[in-house]
Amino acid sequence: MIGFDAILGSFAAAFHYESIAVILGGVLLGYIVGVIPGLNRAVAIAIAIPLTFYMSAYAAIAFLIGLSKGTAAGSAVSAILLNTPGEPSSAATCLDGYPMASSGKPRKALKVGLLASVIGDLLATLLLIAVAIPFASVALKFGPYELAAILVFALVFIAGMAGGSFLKGLAAGGMGIVLGTVGLDPETGAMRLTFGYAELMEGVPILPLVIGTLALAEMFVQLDEYRRNKGASVIKLGHQADDDLSYREFKTTLPTIFRSTGVGAFVGALPGLGPSVGAFMAYGLAKRGDKDPESFGKGNPKGIAAAESADNAVIPASYIPLFGLGIPGSVSAALLVGAFMIHGIQVGPLMLRDHPEMLFTLFSGMIVASLLMLAVGWYGLRIFAKVTSVPPHIVIPVVIFLCLAGIQVQGYGTFGLITVFVFALFGYFLKKFDYSFVTFLVAFIVTPMLEMNLRQSIILSGGEIGILLERPIALVFVIATLLMALHLGWSGWRHRARRRATTNHAD
Amino acid sequence: MHKTLLSTAILSATVALGGIGLAQADDFPSKPLTLVVGWGAGGSTDIQARVLADILTEELGQPVNVVNQPGAGGGVALARLANSRDEGYTFVFGTSMTITFGPLSTETTYGLEDFRYVAGVTLGQSALVTGEDRPFGDSWEDLVAYAQENPGTSYATQTALDRMIIEYIAQQEGLDLRIVPTAGGAGMAPLILSGDVDFGYSGGTHSGYAETGEMPVLLSLAEDRLVAFPDAPTLQEAGYDINAAEIRVAMVPQATPDSHVERLAEALQVATEDPRFIEITEERILMPVTYLPEAEVTQTLTDQVAGYRALLEELGGLPED
Repeated sequence: MIGFDAILGSFAAAFHYESIAVILGGVLLGYIVGVIPGLNRAVAIAIAIPLTFYMSAYAAIAFLIGLSKGTAAGSAVSAILLNTPGEPSSAATCLDGYPMASSGKPRKALKVGLLASVIGDLLATLLLIAVAIPFASVALKFGPYELAAILVFALVFIAGMAGGSFLKGLAAGGMGIVLGTVGLDPETGAMRLTFGYAELMEGVPILPLVIGTLALAEMFVQLDEYRRNKGASVIKLGHQADDDLSYREFKTTLPTIFRSTGVGAFVGALPGLGPSVGAFMAYGLAKRGDKDPESFGKGNPKGIAAAESADNAVIPASYIPLFGLGIPGSVSAALLVGAFMIHGIQVGPLMLRDHPEMLFTLFSGMIVASLLMLAVGWYGLRIFAKVTSVPPHIVIPVVIFLCLAGIQVQGYGTFGLITVFVFALFGYFLKKFDYSFVTFLVAFIVTPMLEMNLRQSIILSGGEIGILLERPIALVFVIATLLMALHLGWSGWRHRARRRATTNHAD
Repeated sequence: MHKTLLSTAILSATVALGGIGLAQADDFPSKPLTLVVGWGAGGSTDIQARVLADILTEELGQPVNVVNQPGAGGGVALARLANSRDEGYTFVFGTSMTITFGPLSTETTYGLEDFRYVAGVTLGQSALVTGEDRPFGDSWEDLVAYAQENPGTSYATQTALDRMIIEYIAQQEGLDLRIVPTAGGAGMAPLILSGDVDFGYSGGTHSGYAETGEMPVLLSLAEDRLVAFPDAPTLQEAGYDINAAEIRVAMVPQATPDSHVERLAEALQVATEDPRFIEITEERILMPVTYLPEAEVTQTLTDQVAGYRALLEELGGLPED
């Protein structure tokens, strides 16, 4: 089916100097976006999509993937030097990165972060290549029954895992579901929650929603913080003798990197958890598994390594459900779906069948991006360290401008601007009251797919629940969903009961 | 009835020609133009529009900027165009279904008579399709016979229009179908290819499978047989009196001066002969390029609206479950 020639040809295409230039551009831009606190990956991709109109399909996707990967590596720089993560997902990197840097070893911290990032990314990319193809051929056999069951499972899973309280997770997911049902009913053609706006007929437009809740809201939150603590101190790279990474030191972090990459890849492959969850999970595991857990949080290189390798491993791994099932596992994956469509390619199991060359070129492009990330990070260390000192009063207005320009470029007009501001306000409160943003967004994206597949299943089966017995995969996921919900509810209840008990004792 | 409508249209066009046409100086266009696409960036309409804009820029000597106004299946762009006083400097490139069936299936602020149809440049290739190795093979007659014997034969719908057509056919042939909603060709293809659904509507996805034969066409919904599937009969040939042919057309507000419409039409005709436009349309989107002058497009669309209206009446209002 797929010849060796095709694979070889795709690598040749990826190593062509033009492709390398495009990917390098993406990685560089991503790095800068990653380094600047508050500018995040989703915003960067959303703003960059119109730029890719003039590129070939391959160049466009390679550029966006380079961008996406670059942000993950770049965000470590500001986490380490500023104690402010460039991406939310690098928050875990702050925990050990900043203490290490402030104790006079910023260069060492940056290098550990970079190497961990690149290794995590590269290994997860290889995993993606190994897994995506067999997975996609299995996924082709998934009909509406299986997809509906998997999507319900994903929703409950995300609500339970993404953050703190299961109830808050459910609430955030519920809001996403309600917004996801806006628009034409797929079967009867009735208008739902459109309030007479023709613009809402096809649902709440995703780009204004994402840019509003993610980017603009983030800017508002940053403004808030900026007003409160103006003088964040930047750590400069100096010339201390012991401030460099020796091979011996690096070797001690390797087991942590491999383990954390595994954690990150696992989290990434499950739709919706995202890099933040992966990074914190890996960090927690590394800390718990270490002989000296007390040293974490005080500048332990293993802490940086765990957080960064997991953070970076999540991104390629989140493309597994994307290429396999067409389900975006993360916000940036959801935006990539749009970018693919712009260039006439439908993401999903059919992509492998109908455009295998595209997928292979993509994979080789991803590997090139990993290598370029290393080069850019290694040699650009000093320059990127300087970028962190761009003050927020320059970054915030520029980003707000780019957000609004992005909406205008996409042609949503005044309606788009209103939508963006409504969702900016909404996102601001989500953040302030600690509702999981990931749960909200993934529920919003998944709901139309879930509704469609559920309706298809009900119509095709003639409403017989017994169809599940003929569809074992669907049955397994339905049972798993029930168990998961029971478990989450039970553990939440126990948690609260225990807390109540301890407060009673205190009285 | 539509005959009178048409003659009124021609009459008013003649009046307009005498009235406004002469009053306008022939320097159109003297400033940049805007080509509005009623779909998001990246759809097949958008891809075509961008090539079209390049050619029109060369032809008209003024920049033609592409603007996407997505929403309501192309309806948002038309609602805005209907209010435009831009005399042809802003025009919409879109599919005819938005203007013919859109106002019938949903509440819209515009109708067929709000626009002039400068020219049609591409013919749609929509069809009823099925997958490989079905018990009824790939013949429409056999499918009908099969569905008559097997209540609950499933059909994948994508648009309100194809839903109406299949409900009409089901009524005519006495079929009890399970009509499954899907979103776009990407939603339909896996259902049809995997065999979960027996047959369905396809806007153009099937053209990509013409060589492998994985998605045979049962019926052509175009006016003629499809270029890539010459063996499948058309709706009319199968005995259904429906013209559901889709045309990709450039539209301006009704009040646009004739000289402007003519200038745009000339440029569009040149575009349909341009190898770049032909290549993107026939090789990438897989639809035949053609040039249909304003009178012909207007006539076809008017006929279609009348036909759909009659069909809806026969079905007793909007198709609903």
